[in-house]
Amino acid sequence: MITLKNLSLEHGDFYLSAVSLQVRSGEIYFLLNRQSLSNDFLFNVLSGFRAPDGGEIFYDECRRILAGRSLPAAFINKVVDTADFETEARIGDWIDFLCRCGNLPRENVLQTLMVLNFNEINLRKKVRDLTPEIFRQVYLALCLAPDAPNIVINDFIKGMEKSLEMKFNKLLWQKKAAGRAILYLSNDIIYAAEIADRVGFIKNGHLLFEADAVDIKDMDIKDLYYKFLN
Amino acid sequence: MLAFLRFERQRLFHEKKNLLFLIFIVLFSLYFVWSGLTEYRQFQVEKKIFIKFEKEKISQFITYTQYGTLGFRLLYEVSPLNLFFVNSGMLEDVESNIDSSENIKVESSFKGKKLFIKRGYFKDFAGIPFVFGSLFMLYLGNLALVSPAHVRFMMGRLPLKKYYVLTAFARLFWLNLFFIALGLSLFLLVQAGGVRFSKLESGMFMLYILFMVVLLDFFYLLGQLTTVLVRFRKIFFLWLFIVWFICIFLLPEISRINVFNKSSALESAENVNLEKFRVLMALEKKFRDFLKEKQTIPLDQIRQMQKKFAGQFMNSGFLMNAALETKYLRDVEKVIRGHEWQSVLFPTTFYYFLSGEASGKGYYGYLDFMDYIMKLRNRFIQYYLQKRYANNYAVIESFVKGDENIFHARSQLPGTYWFGFLATTFYAAVFFVLAYWRLRCLVYPS
Repeated sequence: MITLKNLSLEHGDFYLSAVSLQVRSGEIYFLLNRQSLSNDFLFNVLSGFRAPDGGEIFYDECRRILAGRSLPAAFINKVVDTADFETEARIGDWIDFLCRCGNLPRENVLQTLMVLNFNEINLRKKVRDLTPEIFRQVYLALCLAPDAPNIVINDFIKGMEKSLEMKFNKLLWQKKAAGRAILYLSNDIIYAAEIADRVGFIKNGHLLFEADAVDIKDMDIKDLYYKFLN
Repeated sequence: MLAFLRFERQRLFHEKKNLLFLIFIVLFSLYFVWSGLTEYRQFQVEKKIFIKFEKEKISQFITYTQYGTLGFRLLYEVSPLNLFFVNSGMLEDVESNIDSSENIKVESSFKGKKLFIKRGYFKDFAGIPFVFGSLFMLYLGNLALVSPAHVRFMMGRLPLKKYYVLTAFARLFWLNLFFIALGLSLFLLVQAGGVRFSKLESGMFMLYILFMVVLLDFFYLLGQLTTVLVRFRKIFFLWLFIVWFICIFLLPEISRINVFNKSSALESAENVNLEKFRVLMALEKKFRDFLKEKQTIPLDQIRQMQKKFAGQFMNSGFLMNAALETKYLRDVEKVIRGHEWQSVLFPTTFYYFLSGEASGKGYYGYLDFMDYIMKLRNRFIQYYLQKRYANNYAVIESFVKGDENIFHARSQLPGTYWFGFLATTFYAAVFFVLAYWRLRCLVYPS
């Protein structure tokens, strides 16, 4: 379970004032916010790289723990540029290294890669030799390997091919079915309507509107977009 | 730790660019060691010719006056270790002529094939890791942490400090291993090629390798720090090049200009020579005045008086001139000591100084050479005066015993070696800590 209690942040034009929400186990919650940069900022706060100005974040009743220690949550950031992960090592060696030093269960990584239909020839390639889609598969498998009870995602599917998006959705549903709490930061209302259980809209620093995805499907998405995300 | 060692080995040695650069460094080092070895062998051949020529030259003299006037040559022979530092010395291939004249001459010949020898430009084993190794290490330091996104990703798996320290440690372990293996294998290869090194020289080479490795680590950490300071931006390569240029060329050049400026405070060598000439001429004038006064004096008495005057000269004028020369040399030594301590302040300037001294053609090699010349000259003049006034026309007996006319220059470590080593380690440690602190600020913005 992920809980935000009176969370307040300020970063340039973006601010949150006393936002509270709760993502239950086995639920996919979409927090929609107009600006992508603000989502990045919020993601950094949720993943422990920045301190909030006020309020608290709980993962399964535990207060937010600084990154680097074992977190009760998996964090999946969007991959803007695959060159940011060019270690000059082969992907297979990179996975081995991460499994060894980060104590990640290797079988979990391979299992996720199987779900994503990952071709194992790619393990012998380097990041620069992979298409961004294939690299994202590896990245995703590594992020999900610890099998944490909570998952925080920052707009991961943005700009991805439909085929990978579908595989990703499949994974999310699997995680949901396994009782994971999933908080997804995005500005994509159509995708939210497709996959979320609940959706929250942030505007002018406040969580203005929360609704079940089933209800959203019945609403005019265009209207919602213009109201909250434009 | 093992996981880091394994992963960083793959990162470093499975990358084509890195491999090409490493092969380039190996090939160039091999070439320059081979060229140093060839030069060393050539020198040994020329030395034999030199010894033969000098022996024959003496047998051609008819009088001791001729021997005293023309004297004999003194050859500067560097230690075999010089083949690794052929172009790093301060001196060219020098020799001196020991005769009865007042001037001490240290000369370099440009006759024949020596005209085509162009020294400098890092064209030796010591120059390759210095120029190309440093650039390579800066580049690898730049790539070490990959990007802020990668660092954040890694921090989800292990603490930043652990990741930072172990990555640096593992990368430096492999890179240091490469450069140590390169140095040692070339050292063994040269020995297999028939060059014998004394224990002292072997120890000295090991200490040189140790400093070289620390210097390269300094560049690696500098590259890492520069990357963090410019926040991993892509325009960074320009900065990298600027930093490299300043360290490798600019600072050593500033240090060189500085020592040159300091040396201008020294009295001109010409003034010292003139002073010595005056002392000599004063005695000559005294002898001429004596002859003018006693024009009817018989020839054998003139010879006796000449001998007496020569004795007087040895006890007064010559000693005075030797003192002048020694004082001048000690003044030069003071400038050299100042330069040595100034070199300690920055790793690259110290590397210049160290490789110069290790070559045997450094500043201290020069001082030893001058001391040797003065001692030999002192003995030669006494020998010459004694022989000349005993029997000028007797069969000429060579002054040179054994290989006295060869000056065996030692490869030597500067006295400040450990200070230089500690200073470089200190810089490297500061860069390491500073880069961590900046990286922390970058990853955890306030």
